[in-house]
Amino acid sequence: MSEMILQAENICFSYEEDGRRALDNVNLSIKRGSKVAFMGANGSGKSTFFLCLNGIHRPDSGTLYLNGKPFDYSKKGLLDIRRRVGIVFQDPDNQLFSASVSQEISFGILNLGVPEGRAKEEVDGVIERLTITPFRDKPTHALSGGQKKQVSIADILVMHPDVIILDEPASALDPKHTRIVNELVNQLSQEGITILMATHDIDYACAWADEIVLMHDGNVLKQGTPAEVCRDTDALEKTNLEEPMAVRIYRKLCAKGVLGPAEDMPVSMKELEQSIDKIGKDRKSE
Amino acid sequence: MIVIDKLCYSSRLRYTNAEVKFTYAILTLLFCVISRSLVMAAIVLTVNGILTVGKGRIPFVVYRRLMLIPLAFILLSTGAVIVNVSKSPLDAYAIPIGSWYMTGSRASLMFAARLILSAFAAVSCLYFLSLNTTMTDILGVLAKIHCPQMMVELMLLIYRFIFVLTQTASAIQTSQKSRLGYQDFKTSVRSFGQMAAVLFIRALKRSNALYDAMESRGYDGRIRVLQESYPPKRKEIVLVVLFEIALLVGCILQLP
Repeated sequence: MSEMILQAENICFSYEEDGRRALDNVNLSIKRGSKVAFMGANGSGKSTFFLCLNGIHRPDSGTLYLNGKPFDYSKKGLLDIRRRVGIVFQDPDNQLFSASVSQEISFGILNLGVPEGRAKEEVDGVIERLTITPFRDKPTHALSGGQKKQVSIADILVMHPDVIILDEPASALDPKHTRIVNELVNQLSQEGITILMATHDIDYACAWADEIVLMHDGNVLKQGTPAEVCRDTDALEKTNLEEPMAVRIYRKLCAKGVLGPAEDMPVSMKELEQSIDKIGKDRKSE
Repeated sequence: MIVIDKLCYSSRLRYTNAEVKFTYAILTLLFCVISRSLVMAAIVLTVNGILTVGKGRIPFVVYRRLMLIPLAFILLSTGAVIVNVSKSPLDAYAIPIGSWYMTGSRASLMFAARLILSAFAAVSCLYFLSLNTTMTDILGVLAKIHCPQMMVELMLLIYRFIFVLTQTASAIQTSQKSRLGYQDFKTSVRSFGQMAAVLFIRALKRSNALYDAMESRGYDGRIRVLQESYPPKRKEIVLVVLFEIALLVGCILQLP
């Protein structure tokens, strides 16, 4: 199997309603099992691109590849794409269509043609796993925002996708549920699931992601490791992003002579702490 | 409606098999309407009261308030039966108005009493069902008895989005109120109109987004979901069957 799970080649897409060109020649590759953060202003094309990756939007031109094979838009092909690539939408109220939690979760897996008995086991399993059990008998309209988010993730997880796309999962979540979602995302990624996440939080993106994709006006402005992206101050500025906290502190520390310019710029607080820890050790070894 | 929805999720009879509850409610309602018997209606009212308030633990105050909602309709419609205007007095009562009488016959009074009581009994059957069964369970029963699938699916989506849209509407209204949008009649009318217009657009947008989200999970025009069912208890079935047979016998004997 190819190392790249998803590839986009010269993808262009315009919305029919207003003719707005939402994606303009997008090229990128996503490594299997990687964690990729998508950043960019609202309207920069993140969500549109996600809908392309799931076969909801069909690009006007260009080709998408899943596991090295071009997207197959036949009925069967689409079902396969949707099984392998799942989207957790930003607003759970746009995703949850049923008043019953277990019915809601069962929808995707039944569409894949899984027999009811096994589907029920899978649904119960995912309910247990995502700690939905305490509110599984409540109607979805009585759930809190965080609980709805948990259910909308379960919706996708039950289909056992290879790629999970999370569109700003932390928006409008309280700290507790943000933590629950982040922990879950880490778990999934450890299981080998490729995760694409749209986020506006550069500190989180730098700490979490293997790669960051900066999008601007329907275009990929920059794709690279967090350190590579942080070094490209022009690209950051163009996408209205500030440097992560760790980089700003690092620059100050360098200016004061506390830290020497290292070959690897720390981009997350954890890396910065490691760099600071090293100072003492270097002196000791001297 | 939202009160009923909240209550049914906390009812103690929520996890009783929905088909049993459905069958009980519909058959009992039919027998009440067909027989128009005072005795049977009284029995059904009592039994439903015991089931809903006693077993289901729906607060009595709420139950009473809900039962009184249809009262106005029922009284208005029976008024026409009781009150006649005629030149000669009838046997029950007669109030002379000039050379005419406002009057009624014993038979029509009896008929009105039957009408009122059996209407209340019928209403209590429907309340029993809706206060103790969640909408999703009722939809499950409808699907099982081969209601047209499109209707059941529409009901499922409508039920879910009633809540989403009322939330949106009340959020818009709150923000309008915070900007003095409802300070007098004129502004109220205008604000309400704007709210309705925005709500309509939001509903359209939501339906597009929902369609995308459903499609991304492999929607192909049919909503397939697992039906949750709680196995019926033998005791419940026996009780319902016996009760319905008793009502049937009551119908045949033409109880007063």
